[in-house]
Amino acid sequence: MIRLKIDHGKCTGCQECETACSMKHYTNEVNPKKSRIRVFEDEEEQRFFLIIAGPTTTAECTSKFDVVIAGQQYDGCTLCRSSCPARPWFTEPDTGVALKCDFCGDPPDPHCVKVCEKGALSIMEI
Amino acid sequence: MEAWMGKILRVNLSYGDYHIEEIDPDYLRPYLGGRGLGSKILYDEVDPQVDPFSPENKLIFMTGPLTGTGAPCSSRYMVITKSPLSGTIACSNSGGFFGPELKFAGYDGIIFEGVADEPVYLWINDDEVEIRSAAEFWGKTTHETEDFIRAKIENKYLAKEIRVASIGPAGEKLSRIACVINDKNRAAGRSGVGAVMGSKKLKAIAVRGTGKIMLPDKEAFHKAVLHARDVIRAGPVTGEALPAYGTAVLVNIINEAKILPTNNWQVTYFETANKIAGETIAETILKRPKGCFACPIACGRLTEISDPQNTGMGSPKYFKGEGPEYETVELMGASCGIDNLAAITKANYLCNEMGMDTISAAATVATAMELYEKGYLPEKDLGLKANFGNADALIILTEKMGKREGIGDIMAEGGYRLAEQYGHPELFMGVKKLEAPAYDPRGVQSMGLQYATSNRGACHVRGYAIANEILGVHVKTDPLITEGKAEMVKTFQDITAVIDSSGLCLFVALATNFLYEEIQSLINAASGAGYTVDELVSIGERISNLERLFNLKAGLTKADDTLPKRLLEEPGGPKGDVCRLNEMLPEYYQLRGWDENGVPTTDKLSGLGLQ
Repeated sequence: MIRLKIDHGKCTGCQECETACSMKHYTNEVNPKKSRIRVFEDEEEQRFFLIIAGPTTTAECTSKFDVVIAGQQYDGCTLCRSSCPARPWFTEPDTGVALKCDFCGDPPDPHCVKVCEKGALSIMEI
Repeated sequence: MEAWMGKILRVNLSYGDYHIEEIDPDYLRPYLGGRGLGSKILYDEVDPQVDPFSPENKLIFMTGPLTGTGAPCSSRYMVITKSPLSGTIACSNSGGFFGPELKFAGYDGIIFEGVADEPVYLWINDDEVEIRSAAEFWGKTTHETEDFIRAKIENKYLAKEIRVASIGPAGEKLSRIACVINDKNRAAGRSGVGAVMGSKKLKAIAVRGTGKIMLPDKEAFHKAVLHARDVIRAGPVTGEALPAYGTAVLVNIINEAKILPTNNWQVTYFETANKIAGETIAETILKRPKGCFACPIACGRLTEISDPQNTGMGSPKYFKGEGPEYETVELMGASCGIDNLAAITKANYLCNEMGMDTISAAATVATAMELYEKGYLPEKDLGLKANFGNADALIILTEKMGKREGIGDIMAEGGYRLAEQYGHPELFMGVKKLEAPAYDPRGVQSMGLQYATSNRGACHVRGYAIANEILGVHVKTDPLITEGKAEMVKTFQDITAVIDSSGLCLFVALATNFLYEEIQSLINAASGAGYTVDELVSIGERISNLERLFNLKAGLTKADDTLPKRLLEEPGGPKGDVCRLNEMLPEYYQLRGWDENGVPTTDKLSGLGLQ
């Protein structure tokens, strides 16, 4: 099975993966808000988080609680990577349709991996 | 035409209303977008003689066709207005994520007119545009402002996605060196554009966009993007030096060339420069490089320092932020005789939070230090002993400048007005009242001509001749001779105008052979507009001439195309030379098609369609 491997330490937050993803999945347009991969910045820790609209587990959602990391309170829900009707990440802003990473087809050829200059993204077989 | 959104938001702050205008493609095409389009609008709509702080002056935010497309380094937007610092056309450029977000919201730019009665900020969420009260956070820093606007939004997901451009206390208090800060640490820095924003009582712009930028053919565009990225990766400056060490990689290079302004340009070599160089930053305070939107270079530096003023009593206090960049570290460092990296970084953070241009702020401190050392500026006015090398003085004076307290009140007016107040304007190192960046033209002649003729005053990013003279990016030239420099400066100035108008970052031009052809292929692939290289070349020339016309009508003359006395008369640099401006300036005028007074001829103007 193909998965995307993320090295958060290498990400510089440039969002090129977002533009590449949206360009790949839509006809002649660029729109990061329709990307299946999103970049968020943690200002306190001075690092970037890449989140992919990955596969969900069959288990019930258990992440809707506050997480405390280094004294800072986070909403666990915002960190979840699955498509969810309750949140705008990974749903089309205009239609509400859920977005899901498809590794850019078969054989897998993810555009986000191709454009990541710093090598934060790679494909791996598990 | 794709790539452009085709719409501009016009906001009248006096009446508190707005409307959306379509851009006429025929009006747009000869100016491309960004700097070109913004300057054209300012030129057409604002009397160049206007008082920059009056309601008649306009403040224009403008993106380019490539902004937000995902082309490499396509993050830029411009802020265009009449400068309160220099009286020239002001046009400051910034990266980050604000510009692209504005385009995703559906607008190429925003024009602000009039003056609001009470402090306001502009809220844009796609089609939802609203002028809201900023009374609650007027007086706050740029960082506090951004946090405050986010915190007020009920929908926490939406709050995460907005991008904010704002001014700090410096802009509110009409400091002539105030800048506009977006994404907390990216600055449209020069020419005092933040003060114009403050005069309009406009505290911030918050924008979120969920829309799309159209492309004529995504496969062709993707191909052009990948090629441009290959070119950027292959360049030694853009592919290796900047990603690893940021812009401060220049410190040691410029110091070795003996053109590193030290002690307010009295000397051009700094013994302990390595302590403030990019290599040292990478080893000590750097947490992570940060890229602007779609940037493969990522020259931004996320840094952390412990409090330089904490002498070990109690627990150390830590500060986090972004920077310092080359100009900042050099002018706050060597030019103030300081090699304390933590202190420089702290002063840099302060500038970002207060909303002050780091180049102008640092140069003003350096001017104050020389005035103090020479006995022209008494200690009782300063409130401290401001010797060169005094790191505490740098931090304290920066803070005072931001708040306009004590001596900070006159310093906030910029270096020229400070030096003039104390009777020694010759100690101000700048042109057209804009403080000079950190390359001494006595050792790199072309930069002297560039400082003297740039349309916004002493500026390095209107024609970065250092690329060839020192770095040898496209071709290595001899920086000590004046032959051929007029043409070189003109060429650099014109291509820079095109890059600034396209929405690309100027750093693409630091990649070997990233010239008109590369820019053309990106713009055409994104827009389908079919620009020819000749057309782009003439766009660059047109913008340079248009800005010149604005300045001439504003009352500037040939006499303003000059350099500080120190650079023209006191020998310095690697060979103890002066800047031989008089050898280059007449040739430059001639190449530009201007008469001996630097006024564009009728022929030139009609050739460019400016009549």
